[in-house]
Amino acid sequence: MSHPATAISSVKLAWALSWAAFWTGFPFKMIVALLLLAAQIHPWEGAGLIALLALSVPIDIWALGLTARTFFLERMGIEVRGPAGIGLWWQGAVLGVVTLGLAYYAVGATAAVCQKAAAATLEVVNKVIPIPVAEQITIELLMWAVPTTIVAIILLLVWLKLFGWRIKRFAVASGQTSSAGLQERVRAWDGWRVPADPILMLVSFTAVAVLLTVAFWVLLPVTTTHRHPDYPPPPTDAGKKKVKPEELLKKTDTALAKAEAVLELLEKEQAKEKKKKPAGTGH
Amino acid sequence: MMPLLQKVYDFVDERIDLKTLEAKMMKEPIKGGSRWAYVFGSVLLFIFVMQAVTGLLLMFYYIPSADHAYASTQFIIHEVDYGWFILSYHFWGSSAMVVMVFAHMSQVFLWGAYKSPREMIWLVGLALFGIVMAFGFTGYLLPWDQRAYWATTVGVEIMDKTPIVGDFMARFLKGGPTPGQMTLSRFFVIHVMVLPGALMGLAGLHLFFFRSAGPAGPFRGTPEELKAKTDFFFPRQVWKDIVAMAAVFLTISSLALIEPVVLLEEAKPDPGDYHPEPEWYFLFLFQLLRWKIFGGEFGQFLGAIAIPGAFMLLLAALPFIDRGPERNIFKRPIALLSWAVVMIGILVLTVSAIINREFLD
Repeated sequence: MSHPATAISSVKLAWALSWAAFWTGFPFKMIVALLLLAAQIHPWEGAGLIALLALSVPIDIWALGLTARTFFLERMGIEVRGPAGIGLWWQGAVLGVVTLGLAYYAVGATAAVCQKAAAATLEVVNKVIPIPVAEQITIELLMWAVPTTIVAIILLLVWLKLFGWRIKRFAVASGQTSSAGLQERVRAWDGWRVPADPILMLVSFTAVAVLLTVAFWVLLPVTTTHRHPDYPPPPTDAGKKKVKPEELLKKTDTALAKAEAVLELLEKEQAKEKKKKPAGTGH
Repeated sequence: MMPLLQKVYDFVDERIDLKTLEAKMMKEPIKGGSRWAYVFGSVLLFIFVMQAVTGLLLMFYYIPSADHAYASTQFIIHEVDYGWFILSYHFWGSSAMVVMVFAHMSQVFLWGAYKSPREMIWLVGLALFGIVMAFGFTGYLLPWDQRAYWATTVGVEIMDKTPIVGDFMARFLKGGPTPGQMTLSRFFVIHVMVLPGALMGLAGLHLFFFRSAGPAGPFRGTPEELKAKTDFFFPRQVWKDIVAMAAVFLTISSLALIEPVVLLEEAKPDPGDYHPEPEWYFLFLFQLLRWKIFGGEFGQFLGAIAIPGAFMLLLAALPFIDRGPERNIFKRPIALLSWAVVMIGILVLTVSAIINREFLD
């Protein structure tokens, strides 16, 4: 009897696993990317890119392992021994690097050649029948984008075919059918993935969401980092004298003490003058 | 459940029969089980709620007058704490809403979920699509910069070409010979009062029809197979919806951070160096109107009104034309091909419009 993994096409198998794994890992990667962006670190360059890639690897391994185990069990009725995520991820990654490298040159070269060919063709056509700019743009776009897209799709199919072939090999080598019934095993796996207490799951989810939200607002700049050229710049403190409350209080206290002393002196002098003046001299 | 939570639950249940409400909301059977393809409706509702919240926050500072709209928007961006982010989220949220409406309509179309007995859901959905586009159009004017002013001028001019009602609609929206205070007031009222009310009412009707007819379920599988896989709305579909909403929220927030709203110059009746163009989701139509075939009065009417109008009428009539029971998209080649042609057409024309910018400078 043939192995259940051999019954499915390599492309379909690789597509099912990688598509599901991509969307499983996507929200987690987006959380990382958003926190980096809020902290004004671009996740597509320098340290941001390194951080995102470093965190994406374990996320992808986990996501691929989870989706592979589910797919193997639910569609093929087999359980795999050992860590499925890492076992499949490194093979997909190696093939991905090779295919992406190839795609960089193949897709780039196709686009460049087709763009030149399209421009030359339209130049000739324009001499015979002048084509308006708007129509010319769309025709030219279709002339180079269609073959370029076809090349990109072919390379994607090549990657899927190769990755699917490796997944099949992995399933044959590591997969095993158990004595328990399929429905029972699916239920057990399902139970493991979906927590028994959904309220607890929602509370935990909310707690994590609140924590991440607080982190986001703490990191986010309060005012825009993209100021409008015509908008008045924020007032600077250069011309202003800084107010130190303690010094000001001390200064005020000294001034008041001085004023009090002067007042006291004046009152004393006034009292002395009153004493000197003889009484009953008025009219 | 924790004792305190249970007490609160019991208290509320005693008064408003929470258990029945919960059973109706959460115990809705989903034929064939939960699916990621079913998240679009919930995601749209989530985006609308977020648009309402961010819009409300913006209204605390925005002044809908031709003299102050631009300055108050600049104030929101530059002075209000986190104002720049809230405004940018609102801006990108509107784009996300359009994308999700397209995704939702595509899913319903490809799944054949518009067919009997779900015609009414489809028709109300089309009206909701119109409202979402109107939200985008009216909201675009509010910042009162050159982009806003000229996109509205072009949009109202296109509307003017509609036979019989076009002139009245254009005059009503503009409120004068050129866009000014009356235009801004009217667009503001439509954006913050008329459209949200209409959307809430129609979305409620959409949900009511949906719950009455029930979900269509997958297009593959025998009734017995689908019945065996039937699941409740909670927890699996709820979980999928939450994850999708989180992904959309993260995407919109990222876009707001990568490309925050930066205004152009204040609106003035002279476009200067600025080449008027509408928001990106209307670009395909704008590019189509540049074609020679759509030049002149009649051509403009054909491209701007007749073809889009006929297309919308065709969509409205779809459940009554396509009456076959087959829902599997792979067994409906005309439907699949039509959808692909429309989607590729929109994509190609949008990219063409972006390339076209180089030829304008």
